[in-house]
Amino acid sequence: MSASLAPECNEVKERYDSCFLKWYSDQYLRGKATTDPCADLFKDYKKCLTGALKERGIDKMLEEAREDHKESDAVNMRRKCKGVLYISS
Amino acid sequence: MKVFSNEETFDYSWEEVSTANWRKYCPWNDKSTHVIAVDTLSRHVDTKTGILRTERLITCKQSAPKWLSSLFGASDTSHVFETSYVDPESKKVTMVSQNLTWSNILSVRESVVYQPLSATRTQFKQDAKVTALCGGWQKVKTAVEDNAVKTFKENAIKGKEGFEAVLEMSRRVFSEERQREQEKIAAS
Repeated sequence: MSASLAPECNEVKERYDSCFLKWYSDQYLRGKATTDPCADLFKDYKKCLTGALKERGIDKMLEEAREDHKESDAVNMRRKCKGVLYISS
Repeated sequence: MKVFSNEETFDYSWEEVSTANWRKYCPWNDKSTHVIAVDTLSRHVDTKTGILRTERLITCKQSAPKWLSSLFGASDTSHVFETSYVDPESKKVTMVSQNLTWSNILSVRESVVYQPLSATRTQFKQDAKVTALCGGWQKVKTAVEDNAVKTFKENAIKGKEGFEAVLEMSRRVFSEERQREQEKIAAS
């Protein structure tokens, strides 16, 4: 698995990534996912990462980028409308 | 603005490709060494659509040409913000990303889509839009854009080679795991 930008988070990231990958291939892709077994591991990883992002000033840059990505959410999170094509003008 | 587009085909199922995609930049990929870290910022499954939405921060280390770094004082570490969407029903992975670093000089927006061509083949489609934002000379703007597109092209070739290696290793590891599980069942 790939490393974290914060070396101190590598260990907890590795544990979370392994958990996620197993869930993704065994449950999610097979339509069997009902719960998130990796939630606790993600919480630990996130706690470690949040501090590291703040230290490096990346949290501020992310806020702006998130705003921009709202557009792509509108395109990619929508429910499929079969046979109907919406063209925005 | 300059546009870079690329299409590739992988001889693996969409399920295999979309799984291996999560570890595209692991040590099995010895080509895309410019990516030094991939962190997950948020992740959830939308209850209405079943779409898995993930935000990631990708950290790269790639030295810029001297003229560029002396002009803008750019460091060689940069960050990219990526939002991805997996729709298991329509079998589509969409990844949208943009640069966080140098964003006052250059805007790089990339979109990648993975979709099945058949049960054993998957298509990769990549589009990038590069726009230099710095005011002033058109010559400088064009040079900044050209350099970004050149870097994209180089990374795309390395990316394809590196991802092929990850896919091959993933298939091997998965089949070994399956075999081990079957042996366990047989033994009990």
